[in-house]
Amino acid sequence: MSNSLATVKLEQVAKRFGEFAAVSDLSISVYPGRIYGLLGPNGAGKTTTIRMIVNITAPDSGRIELFGKQITPALQDRIGYLPEERGLYKKMKVGDQIRFFAELKSVRKQELGRRIDFWLDRVKLTEWKNKKASELSKGMQQKVQFITAVLHDPDLLILDEPFSGLDPINLELLKEIILELKGAGKTIIFSTHQMEIAERICDDICLLDRSRKVLEGSLRDVKRSFGRNAVALRIAGGDGVLRDQSLVSATTHHADEIEALLAPGADVQVLLRELIKAGARVEKFEMIEPSLHDIFIARITENQ
Amino acid sequence: MSKFLAIVKREYVQRVRTRMFVVLTILGPVMLALFAVVPGLLFSLKTGGATRLAIIDETGDAKLYERFRTTLLDGDDFEDHPDFASSINANTRDRIEQAGSSLAGSFSTERVDLNGRSLDEVRRDLNRRIAADELDGYVVLPADILQNPESKPAYYGRNVGDVITQSQIQERLNLAVNRQRLILAGVDEGRLNSLSRPVELETYPVNEKGEAGERDSGAGFLMVFMVGFAIYLTILMYGQVILGAVVEEKETRIAEVLFSSVNSFPLMMGKLIGVSLVALTQLAIWGAAFIAATTWLLGASGVQDLKIPHLPPLFAVYFLLFFLLGYFLYASLYALIGSMVTTTQEGGQLAIPVVLLLVFGFYLAFPVIRSPSSALAFWVSMVPFFAPITMIIRIVSQTPPLWEIVLSLFIGVVTVMLLLWLTARIYRVGMLMYGKRATIPEVVRWLRHS
Repeated sequence: MSNSLATVKLEQVAKRFGEFAAVSDLSISVYPGRIYGLLGPNGAGKTTTIRMIVNITAPDSGRIELFGKQITPALQDRIGYLPEERGLYKKMKVGDQIRFFAELKSVRKQELGRRIDFWLDRVKLTEWKNKKASELSKGMQQKVQFITAVLHDPDLLILDEPFSGLDPINLELLKEIILELKGAGKTIIFSTHQMEIAERICDDICLLDRSRKVLEGSLRDVKRSFGRNAVALRIAGGDGVLRDQSLVSATTHHADEIEALLAPGADVQVLLRELIKAGARVEKFEMIEPSLHDIFIARITENQ
Repeated sequence: MSKFLAIVKREYVQRVRTRMFVVLTILGPVMLALFAVVPGLLFSLKTGGATRLAIIDETGDAKLYERFRTTLLDGDDFEDHPDFASSINANTRDRIEQAGSSLAGSFSTERVDLNGRSLDEVRRDLNRRIAADELDGYVVLPADILQNPESKPAYYGRNVGDVITQSQIQERLNLAVNRQRLILAGVDEGRLNSLSRPVELETYPVNEKGEAGERDSGAGFLMVFMVGFAIYLTILMYGQVILGAVVEEKETRIAEVLFSSVNSFPLMMGKLIGVSLVALTQLAIWGAAFIAATTWLLGASGVQDLKIPHLPPLFAVYFLLFFLLGYFLYASLYALIGSMVTTTQEGGQLAIPVVLLLVFGFYLAFPVIRSPSSALAFWVSMVPFFAPITMIIRIVSQTPPLWEIVLSLFIGVVTVMLLLWLTARIYRVGMLMYGKRATIPEVVRWLRHS
């Protein structure tokens, strides 16, 4: 993996806005054919990092390479970018709109029409081609915006919260397309704070917090390094035990299950014994890998 | 380059296609007409019927009252009936007065004699009638008015703010008293009529080569006003269009997608140029419509002496240059504001000083029209923010020396370039700043950092 040429490489990149450090000393590498999750709470520096990669803002210091080259405006045509809070020209027809954005990415005129029809069909919006953007639902608009990011067949696709606000059917559709693009060898940077989705599609992740990288690696390695220190529980009673900070550092309540993250150094056997001693009815007690969500919370709280 | 053209094309095609464009293209000339005529009409419009006037005649000579009554009721004895040509050619002032005389010129009079009472007593009585709304006003004609040139008649009325009615009373009283004085001095009534016929001043323009032109009928003023107004209106409208377009791209975050494909500078220029083409299209339609309309009027009315005012041969070129100058000046200011704010409303507030600057330039048009070669006219036509309106007015009314035009253009172009440079830097940063309106210190910091 690391012996192949990185699509995106950041070396000790920093960006400040006045007194505020948006990104500090960030080095990351994103490899071809992989989905790279850029994760972190709001204000961690994700958007600034992405903007520097797509050459919207320049870093104060450090080096950014795309496809092994220093970034140039010409390389921008090989990037597809879907920003987080995105919009369309309200009064412009969907087809015209896609055509305009494609022209800005230097797509050849002869191919334009065919590609627009292909993608509209792919996301099931063909009959909306001649409607104005303002007539579309929010989810439909989001799909149109997704088309504008992929129509020019970019080698690097950067998606900032692409799934927010999508219904499950469209979410699946988009996920399927993203995985297809990955299969075609495209590199995808995916920024989100929805850990469940990141967990399902990312190959590698990078966790940012307050301008700094706190964690990077393949999803598998990250999870492994955290060890099997979480327990999935289906119990009745025993709430006091779960609140004991010497045993459990955090709990997450799902519909009928509780995920408990063991406190550092705590013995899982002691937890089980204490629960029974407290008179809890235990239906399920399973050692699991921590979810990305738990890792996220643990690292961010640790960092504070 | 093809990206830049794509931006220009989008701005142009999307805007020319809108219903708004069609409506404005039709509405523009209508608004012009309203601006030119309606304020005058409204001012001269007097509702509520005839002015009821009592006349206290202390002279005891019934002839003066009768004469005054006649002039009041009939208006000016000598007035020609305006024919079609003169009503088209009339300048704004004339038209306002014509409208005024037809709308406000009615009086009803009654004679009040002292009959041995004192003047104060009669006035008290009349004041009471005014208060009771039986009367609108009264005129006191002193006993020595026909003999003593210093004698001062007086008008007492409820509404002394109605200057049009007052000036009509004054004018007609003046006429009546003068004629009566002349008759008393032994002038024959018939000769009086023929001798006191008013003279008519004919106006001829003299051009820069010292040649006298065709008789000017007042249409020159209208032409100058229309040209100035067209520039003013178009800059104002399309400046707002730029503001809206920039705010839309910022508000919807489209700017971010655009910036990931194109540099901010071609993006901004593409927008400015695209919209300028829309404005030029509109002006071209207006120009063509104006020429068609005047040609048709000439043909249909059969009027021979309707003169289209003489325009300098390079007028179209000058118009284009000064329009573009004004457009880019104001549009870049609007773009700058648009990139600083977060909503259209905020943009509107922040743009008020810019609008005021433009409106001020438009008002400067009036003194410049009156004396296009004055020092004031020279200096304001050198100020880039006023030059587009004031210089084009000078060119139409009394073409200044070429060096003045070139200097004004030069100053303007340098200012535009500086402004575009400044705007581009602020735009680049501002378009990506969300959340709140940028403060001036912040903008200064962006300038230093970008």
